[in-house]
Amino acid sequence: MAGLELRGIRKDYGSTAVLKGIDLSIADGEFVVFVGPSGCGKSTLLRVIAGLETVTAGDIRIDGAEVTRTAASDRGLAMVFQSYALYPHMTVHQNMSFALENMGIAKPEIAARVDRAARMLRLTDYLQRRPAALSGGQRQRVAIGRAIVRDPKIFLFDEPLSNLDAELRVATRKELAALHAEIGGTMIYVTHDQVEAMTLADRIVVLNGGRIEQIGTPLELYNRPANLFVAGFIGSPRMNLLPTELVRGEAAGGETGRAATLGIRPEHVEPCGEADADLTVRVDLVEQLGGETFLYTSANTGGPNGLPLTIRCDGQSRLARGDLLPVRLRRDHLHRFDAAGLACRPDPLPARSHS
Amino acid sequence: MTDTMRSHGAPARGPSAAAAAVTTGSANILMRLTDPPMRAVQRLIGAARMPYVFLLPNLLFFGLFVFLPIGINIVFSVTGGTGLFPSERPYVGAEHYARLLDCGSYLEAGSCREDLFWRGVGNTLTFTVFQMVAMVLFSLVTALVLNRPIRGRGFFRAVYFFPVLLSPVVVALIWKWILQRDGLLNAVLTTAGGEKILFFVDPGWAMFWAVFVSVWAHMGFYTLILLAGLQAIPRDVYEAAEMDGTRPWRVFHRITLPLLWPNLLVVLVLVLIRSVQVFDEVFVLTGGGPGTATMMVVQYIYTTAFANQVQNFGLAGAASVLLGAVLFVLTLIQLFLTRRRAS
Repeated sequence: MAGLELRGIRKDYGSTAVLKGIDLSIADGEFVVFVGPSGCGKSTLLRVIAGLETVTAGDIRIDGAEVTRTAASDRGLAMVFQSYALYPHMTVHQNMSFALENMGIAKPEIAARVDRAARMLRLTDYLQRRPAALSGGQRQRVAIGRAIVRDPKIFLFDEPLSNLDAELRVATRKELAALHAEIGGTMIYVTHDQVEAMTLADRIVVLNGGRIEQIGTPLELYNRPANLFVAGFIGSPRMNLLPTELVRGEAAGGETGRAATLGIRPEHVEPCGEADADLTVRVDLVEQLGGETFLYTSANTGGPNGLPLTIRCDGQSRLARGDLLPVRLRRDHLHRFDAAGLACRPDPLPARSHS
Repeated sequence: MTDTMRSHGAPARGPSAAAAAVTTGSANILMRLTDPPMRAVQRLIGAARMPYVFLLPNLLFFGLFVFLPIGINIVFSVTGGTGLFPSERPYVGAEHYARLLDCGSYLEAGSCREDLFWRGVGNTLTFTVFQMVAMVLFSLVTALVLNRPIRGRGFFRAVYFFPVLLSPVVVALIWKWILQRDGLLNAVLTTAGGEKILFFVDPGWAMFWAVFVSVWAHMGFYTLILLAGLQAIPRDVYEAAEMDGTRPWRVFHRITLPLLWPNLLVVLVLVLIRSVQVFDEVFVLTGGGPGTATMMVVQYIYTTAFANQVQNFGLAGAASVLLGAVLFVLTLIQLFLTRRRAS
């Protein structure tokens, strides 16, 4: 297993810059998730690390060794593809042993490794089947098995769960977490699903428009987003963003006078009495999930459409569409952002990466 | 249906709107004209039999131009004389077949009563073997190259396909012009200080060029089939192979070849069937010569029936039936292989 170092990685396709200067260090044994909206460059970054794409500028080091120009096959990495990319004409056993045969490993050793991986992934009964005769979840496990047998320096996962149904996705997510705990390898995982990112990652890298917006543990990103993009991207439902002047006391400047936008997560907006209220909102939609309730409301700003504000309440609610509700924003959970969209904080945080 | 057409036509503007109006108008007229008779036929025979009404035109066409000639051919093969109408031809049973198959040794054409037929069979076999190997090899290599991201890929794809569009006779005439005694190739050879080669006088050269021209003319078609097969192989399978550290040759024979095999099989069988039937290109190019060195079975049939002074329709018919039987078996094999592939 190994660590990874990226320095000033740029990737252009013609005149289109897809990666605009990525600096990142990943420690040995770490589970890092790249997350971001479609087209943010997360898959390209993974493919650059894999060696399937060349870089326009910058360098890549694995375990301190420069591999920027090294062929994919010589980097010692294993990749699990979104489509699984199993060899359709080979059995599960052949799929898993193919890379080992390429390496010239002795047959008994190959058999032992495949056997071990198959047992770990509950594939022993399917070793003689072809991929077409397997379910989606089984195919996914074969793809992971194919990576495990190689004992790679780093595992790369390119949206591996996106082709599975919701139930299987949750189950496979747990298996992946267990797998990481068991084999302890360095893993880099690309997804657009923030739940996968939050639940699997030691650290999350949020990408947007070919740049890193923020790097941190899942809770760091959730609790202290560095900018408006991360604030809006991490967390579901999204963080509420409001103009400062809408909230009593904040318009005057509050503790940090630079703030232009306030952010507050749905669970930090509380219904309260008229006297304590920061805002009065009108309920547009009530989503009852049993254990919790989401209220989609709008704050009256005088315009034709109110400012949307989502509220999360524990338990069940008797509110209905059209009800007026006085709410209070919990001051200790207010996020403040300046006019450029950066978080205003007394304490310095990992800054937005600029090339 | 009419409403759908109208609503499709409605949003268009300008010339396209006018075109749409004309199309819709003529479609309406056509529908009004054909609707009553169709309904009448359906009332008469019932809805369940309607599909046969739609099949009838093609069935008639096939019957007249395919099945009827096959029948006449079989009748000719068991009747003798030079008469054209079956009523003028005396029944001779399997006499023609016996004559064709009467051989001292099937490996020695000279020992056969119809030695020309067996020479044709031998030549066709030789042609088929060389043509199959050359065709598969060249179309595979071409498809592999055209599948790579090379500059001018679209242009080259068109160029390799272009000869397929030419008539076989045109192809043969072009190459004859190049290869004849005072042709282009000999002009180049002599300019370069070499000696003229009489390509159509040497049996080996004649067969070589027969195969070459045939491959040149049809390669584009098979390249296209193989190219389609190559493009159907997912890119990420290759990327997985790359990550797995697979060397290029191993990628070819462990990934590309097995995944291309179904297409390759189709190509093999199609080439086989077509080369057994080969006639026009080779006939125009070499005339079957020198001597009978490039005379194929179909040429033997043609000559026996139409070109000899005594037109022996019966013997030619029998040879056709034998060739038809071989092609029938080959087609069954092809059907079997494609069905197995589909399942």
